[in-house]
Amino acid sequence: MLRLLCVCGNGMGTSTILKIKLKGICERMGVKVGVESCSAGEAGAFISSTDIVVTTPEWGKMIRLPQSVVMVTTVNLMDEKGLTTKLEEAIRTHFPKEIK
Amino acid sequence: MAILQFIFNQILGQAYILLAIVVFIGYIALRQPISKALGGAIKTAVGVLVLGIGSSTLITTFSGIMKPVSEKFGMTGILLDTYSTMVSTNAALGDFATWTVYTMLFAFIFNIALVALRKYTKIRSVFLTGNVMLVQTAIATYIVYRFLQTPMVPTVLIASAITALYWGIFPGLLIEPVKEITGGGEFTIGHQQMFGSWIAYKIAHLFGKPEDDVEQINFPSWFSIFQDNVVSSTIVMLFFIGIMMLALGKDVVQEMAGTTHWMIHILKTGLTLSVALYILLTGVRMMVGELMTSFQGISERLLPGAVVAVDCAAIFGFSPKAVLLGFVGGAIGMVTGVAALILAKSPMLIVPGFIPMFFDNATIGIFANRRGGWKAVVIITFVSGLIQVFGSGLAASLMGVAAWQGSFDWATVWVAIIGILKLIGNALGIVPA
Repeated sequence: MLRLLCVCGNGMGTSTILKIKLKGICERMGVKVGVESCSAGEAGAFISSTDIVVTTPEWGKMIRLPQSVVMVTTVNLMDEKGLTTKLEEAIRTHFPKEIK
Repeated sequence: MAILQFIFNQILGQAYILLAIVVFIGYIALRQPISKALGGAIKTAVGVLVLGIGSSTLITTFSGIMKPVSEKFGMTGILLDTYSTMVSTNAALGDFATWTVYTMLFAFIFNIALVALRKYTKIRSVFLTGNVMLVQTAIATYIVYRFLQTPMVPTVLIASAITALYWGIFPGLLIEPVKEITGGGEFTIGHQQMFGSWIAYKIAHLFGKPEDDVEQINFPSWFSIFQDNVVSSTIVMLFFIGIMMLALGKDVVQEMAGTTHWMIHILKTGLTLSVALYILLTGVRMMVGELMTSFQGISERLLPGAVVAVDCAAIFGFSPKAVLLGFVGGAIGMVTGVAALILAKSPMLIVPGFIPMFFDNATIGIFANRRGGWKAVVIITFVSGLIQVFGSGLAASLMGVAAWQGSFDWATVWVAIIGILKLIGNALGIVPA
């Protein structure tokens, strides 16, 4: 199962929207995921149990990523097509076994 | 009969259980497995209870300071915070507090109905920001009950009708502006300052030029600490609580502090408020994710073409500097408003909370920047801050509560709604004038 982490400033508004969209996108892709959301300040604590971080470019700059973790950024959280494309690319490149 | 009583009082009468059941039903309606539905229900219940712990700590700590301040200066304190307002109005409803959950459900249903009939209603947006839905319907329920004193069914229906109209009409004003700001995004804002944002968008050109885009300006690097909400809210809380405690005088604070040094006690109190807010938001986050999954799923099923109205934070990424500058402008405006009230010897001491200070003015700032550049951001959010303080004070005194949302729309649109309901209640002799 792939572990996704949605990060934003408050851990509530942006990341909740992302979380819901990502769950839907992954279901359609046939990928099993667990999605969590948190604020940028807490990301450090969650990152050790994450495979892919999804966030806006703004917050992306502030998060330090360990080698194994992939980051996907999007300015428009409501753009499902864009998110799907980016996420699919990230999964195919780094975690190809997860796609059925 | 006893079983029905039990079901009503012990289960449906407890918000955390009721919401858990709503989420459970939502998952099942979306054909999710029972294990997922159960997990979602548990997370919802836990989230609601965590929210409760956070808000009671917030209110207890705040009133611990507010009480001596109001005794010494003869003022009533009004805290401008979203969730504290909901807790206050729910407390005023007493045993009827669970009506608020029904209001939320029916407001959602009415919103969907209004969009389904969009040919006649011209309403295109479905409000999906769960945390805001919860708070707004809770407060709306008390507003109706306070002035009309109606039993459960009419109260819920009236409150949900009013809220659904607010949810349908005001986010609709921002559909085109959001499309412009996001370069084609097909969504709108469902939060607490749509009216303010719309006004900002319309008048911004009077104060500046869009070419003076705030995103082109370089901020000093220390500005970025405000981007972390925990840091920002701590600074804001410390500022206001610090001033209040200093006003009480060193000796009073030292007595409260016991063996701790009085300065450390001020620091601790400010931090405790920030901690309480953090716990509160953690609970909200847990519960809202679950609620919104259901609501969004249902909305997509029933109205595939509808425009969704989502958290204002969805557009923050498009103009991050406007977010910061808007916050600063609004903060200055609110502090000025509070000072003005004190100088005018008002009996009300408004204590601005972080949430309305930040989210409202960040959002209004983005719309102002789009049409008027940084000058519009600064001027408009400053005025917004003033309006937020004065309007909220008015609302709190009309409602007789010690907390109010502080958000722009709740200092303007909803004050009008309160006024109208009060007039009706007075005219029908339900409540004394």
